[in-house]
Amino acid sequence: MTAIATDASVSSMPPAHRRGSKLRRRNTLIGWSFILPNFLGFALLTLIPVLALFYLGFTNWNIFGTAKWTGLANFQRLIGDTTFHTALINTFYYALIHIPLSFVAALGLALLLNTKIRGAAFFRTAAFFPYITSIVAIAVVWNLLFSPQYGPINEFLRFIGIANPPGWLQSQEWAMPATAIVSTWRDMGYYMILFLAGLQAVPRELHEAARMDGAGVWQRFWNVTMPCLRPTTFFVTVMLTINSFKVFDLILVMTGGGPGNATLVLSQFIYNQGFEQNNFGYASAASIVLFFICLLVTIGQFLINKKRSA
Amino acid sequence: MYRKITMAAAVTAVAALALAGCSGTSTTTPSATLDNSPVKLTMSAWNLAATPTNEFKALADAFTAEHPNVTIELKDYDAAKYPTLVTADLAAGTATDLITIKTVVDVVPWAEGGQLADVSDVKIGDGVKGGASYNVDGKQYAIPYRLDGNVIYYNKDLFKAAGVADPDGTWTWDDYVAAAEKLKTGLAAAGSKALPAYQHGWNTLTQNFATVQTGNDVLKGDFSYMKPYYERTLKMQADGLQLPLATVTANKTTYQAQFGKQSAAMEIMGTWYVSTLVAQQAKGDADKFAWGIAPAPQKDAAATKAPVTFGDPTGIAINAKLEGNKLAAAKAFLAFIESEKGASKLAAMAITPAFINDAVTAAYFGLAGVPTDDLSKKAWSGQKILPQNLPNAKQPVANTALVAMHSAILTGSGDIDKAIADAQAQFKNSAG
Repeated sequence: MTAIATDASVSSMPPAHRRGSKLRRRNTLIGWSFILPNFLGFALLTLIPVLALFYLGFTNWNIFGTAKWTGLANFQRLIGDTTFHTALINTFYYALIHIPLSFVAALGLALLLNTKIRGAAFFRTAAFFPYITSIVAIAVVWNLLFSPQYGPINEFLRFIGIANPPGWLQSQEWAMPATAIVSTWRDMGYYMILFLAGLQAVPRELHEAARMDGAGVWQRFWNVTMPCLRPTTFFVTVMLTINSFKVFDLILVMTGGGPGNATLVLSQFIYNQGFEQNNFGYASAASIVLFFICLLVTIGQFLINKKRSA
Repeated sequence: MYRKITMAAAVTAVAALALAGCSGTSTTTPSATLDNSPVKLTMSAWNLAATPTNEFKALADAFTAEHPNVTIELKDYDAAKYPTLVTADLAAGTATDLITIKTVVDVVPWAEGGQLADVSDVKIGDGVKGGASYNVDGKQYAIPYRLDGNVIYYNKDLFKAAGVADPDGTWTWDDYVAAAEKLKTGLAAAGSKALPAYQHGWNTLTQNFATVQTGNDVLKGDFSYMKPYYERTLKMQADGLQLPLATVTANKTTYQAQFGKQSAAMEIMGTWYVSTLVAQQAKGDADKFAWGIAPAPQKDAAATKAPVTFGDPTGIAINAKLEGNKLAAAKAFLAFIESEKGASKLAAMAITPAFINDAVTAAYFGLAGVPTDDLSKKAWSGQKILPQNLPNAKQPVANTALVAMHSAILTGSGDIDKAIADAQAQFKNSAG
């Protein structure tokens, strides 16, 4: 019935044309009204500030008064700032541990929980739990677990015969790996869900065919599962990378950048410069650098993905 | 988070640019005399909901009692984010008339940003301490009303049990360590699990004693004079005289529980803790034991005659937008908070005022639960309290580097020189 009615209205000439455009306009307006609340929030709280950032990075603005244009001075200062170098190196160090570790852990969990084991639903929930736990609670509990003198982890290590266990979050050598471990534990549940969804889309027939041809478990994993998972893998890697480079909250509550500057990352450097020392211009310049790091790495990943899918 | 920061910065940017257009003419009007027309002032404060009897309300009420035409309305801020929130309000032009200064370092950006009125004509009375902390480029931007210096809190019961003599007001740092060593054996012999001392995680507790007692200036960028103070702290950690910083940080120990629950026999802390401890002992949150306070340990015997410690004042500033009768009323309020009347009011609430004389001391030590021995009185009022932070834009820059240096030295393998060199470089990077 409706199909016929629509056909009739389209075929009859002038008045229907007006009605059609009216309908289209109405639909467009309804569509806009659906995304408007989100877009307004995005524009006001994200888009405009990010655009302002590109201006402020070239000024010496310090909250009050006018921002004086200083050209590339902030960026020149960044090049010579050894604290910035430390933060940059630490950020890459964190990403280098966190990205592969989370990827492997999340994929492993997803493969494990994709099989028909008993209580799979329970374990899926359990693995996702850390992701929705308050980050402050995570920091307090893991700090206690990692406590060098009385923490259960070191008690255990001493029990199995390691005389001098690491100082974990309280040692300059171990603080970053320890933070990355906690962060992996926290994030892997989320990425596991993404992988699980991807695994559902792997056609069973392919696996069956491969088995018929005599492929073992490993061969099927590398030649059937992984290629079919590629869209998911790509998405997970991009998200993991961006999230690793802009890590902030976890570091702030776990170590505050310490001991020394062992876990000082770029976002915290920006925070210190901006909100503790009132150098908003300089902080903006560092933010621009972080923005371009994220952008370049993501573009690189897109290009690699495109080449592979071609 | 990174996005949130840039967002906040930019929103403030827009607000500040808008404000810059309309507040360009903020100059201080000559101090007018307060007439009797009704004046309503607003004042920024924190933790009002949690503490119904607070210093802000006490000062405001006492002032209104003297000047019935002036009412002061308090505006509550989140204590943890106070400087950021007030900065945002100032930039948006919605800040209160009277601005309480929670941390000294905030005065510089606010004053240099033209947000605070020059209150140099409110004379700082003789005996009022801490005024210099609000002096930026020769102009006074706030008046202090409270000033807490650091003292030794000691548990008289634990000292007695360990058979160690109480502090006598002549302790050097070496005496402090020696007492801690005696306490260690004495407490163990008495079957107590308490440690001799507790040093809280703040970097100031090692660094600022070094700075004020050796007469140095951190803003010169040379931190090497702190080395002997660090060697002592490291020795105390290594000898088991106090918890290592690693444990303090990992276990998030609190100074209130460590001393109040008798886990440590001594603790160096600001005099603000007196009122907390008295209240916690009364409520049962802390154990009941006899305690006292003593002047902070000094670098050598000669220095103990005139003990030097550190601390920052809390004060009140005036919004640069105020004029006429409102400004006059605000200045009258500032003169009141530093006066003996204001100080006595605070002392009666177990708060250490910036102005102390015999009457104020009597009001403070008349409170139930406050130790009344002579040494406690000497520690409370007889120490020279030098600033913890200087009103200089380089101070927060130094603080960032010094906080990192503290954890690097006290949790590291002990290469003090490298940690100091790193911190000096970090300071130089940012401060130029």
